[in-house]
Amino acid sequence: MSWYQLVRPVAKGLSVAMTRLAVEGRENIPRQGPFFLVANHQSVLDPILVQANCPRPVHSLTKSSQFSSGTVSAWLLLRINAIPTRRYRVDPQVVRTVLRLLERGEAVCIYPEGERSWDGTLQPLRRGTVRLILKAGVPVIPCGVKDSFNAWPRWSRRPRRCRVVLRFGAPMHFGRHDTRAEREPALDAAVARLARALAELSGQPAGSAGGE
Amino acid sequence: MGLADLCYRCPACGQDPMGGKGDRAWCPSCGFLAQRRRGRLFATGSGGEPTKTEARTLAEAAALGNELDKDFRCSTQAMVCWRIREDPVWRRGELRGWVETMGPASPGTVTVDDEAVAIECVAAPGDGSSGSRSGRWSHLELRAVQTSSSSLQISLPDDRLVQLRFTADSPKRWEDMLRQLVRAAYRRAGKGFVHEFQPRIATRPR
Repeated sequence: MSWYQLVRPVAKGLSVAMTRLAVEGRENIPRQGPFFLVANHQSVLDPILVQANCPRPVHSLTKSSQFSSGTVSAWLLLRINAIPTRRYRVDPQVVRTVLRLLERGEAVCIYPEGERSWDGTLQPLRRGTVRLILKAGVPVIPCGVKDSFNAWPRWSRRPRRCRVVLRFGAPMHFGRHDTRAEREPALDAAVARLARALAELSGQPAGSAGGE
Repeated sequence: MGLADLCYRCPACGQDPMGGKGDRAWCPSCGFLAQRRRGRLFATGSGGEPTKTEARTLAEAAALGNELDKDFRCSTQAMVCWRIREDPVWRRGELRGWVETMGPASPGTVTVDDEAVAIECVAAPGDGSSGSRSGRWSHLELRAVQTSSSSLQISLPDDRLVQLRFTADSPKRWEDMLRQLVRAAYRRAGKGFVHEFQPRIATRPR
């Protein structure tokens, strides 16, 4: 049994203890083959909620500072499939790692806003993330996390048990764009489409996160 | 961290800074109070009843305006630390990624104006440098600006990374402020509109 399998029931228990959680659209997760799980990010709880309730194991992009904050957290994060991501510079190693995992038929979870929202609203999506999605060409499952901000906002030290809804949307297909010349013309439309899907699934006004 | 980090300026009267502790932020000037109760936010004007509000409403009302454009200057104390190295992270014989190690923090002063950001601090023992770590960098020289939990990270030329943990100020204010100033500097220099601040400052024509 892997560490991921061991930790998952604990995370699931935590997600029930810390929120009144409703999960919708589990049937949209592919049973096999690679995919991206793309979620909005309102709270520190989101990775727990998403990974515990996604029917398939996912590898999750995680800020690299989480790994340097302590040896125990780094040790555990690695075993629950976290991928350290440097956010202060373009990180080509992340692209290599993600593409390698997808080639093996595994799933990768990304929070394309790049950081937790200060006020719960959907922030502009990082274009580099969407470039990676276009390069990989695998199905994208949009995942809307609604109201986890109320349960534990970024600026608060205290969680509150609130109703949170987790919605897995229908798979989206953006096609495979191998070269930069193919990707760049498709980028703006892909960013807008993904932002619309995340806004809709997370119950936010359409157009709340198109771009800065 | 607390609600005053989000709501750093009074939405009712513009008083800056707000007082705050934990899930409450209050205005020492007009008595406006914002608080989180049972996961919801409530705002109370002077002498009024609490009414439900949204974090977005508080954040937008607190956001800094165009006053940053001319002769602006702001300074605060912060714990300053610098990245001293990056280490590879391996899993089952495969390179998974890279992780930065920050050096020890030392007290310093951060100042921004409409031209540059300046950091004054003495190098902490063990941070990989000798003597002063002070410097001043034009907004056009910055490579990336982002908050990370309760601190602000700035990527500087020559692949340097500094992390600022504010002892008595809101990291969101500093992120908002620095981003506005960088945008204004790029605009003045005719370098386009800054549409991303991480993982690098990226522009596009307006």
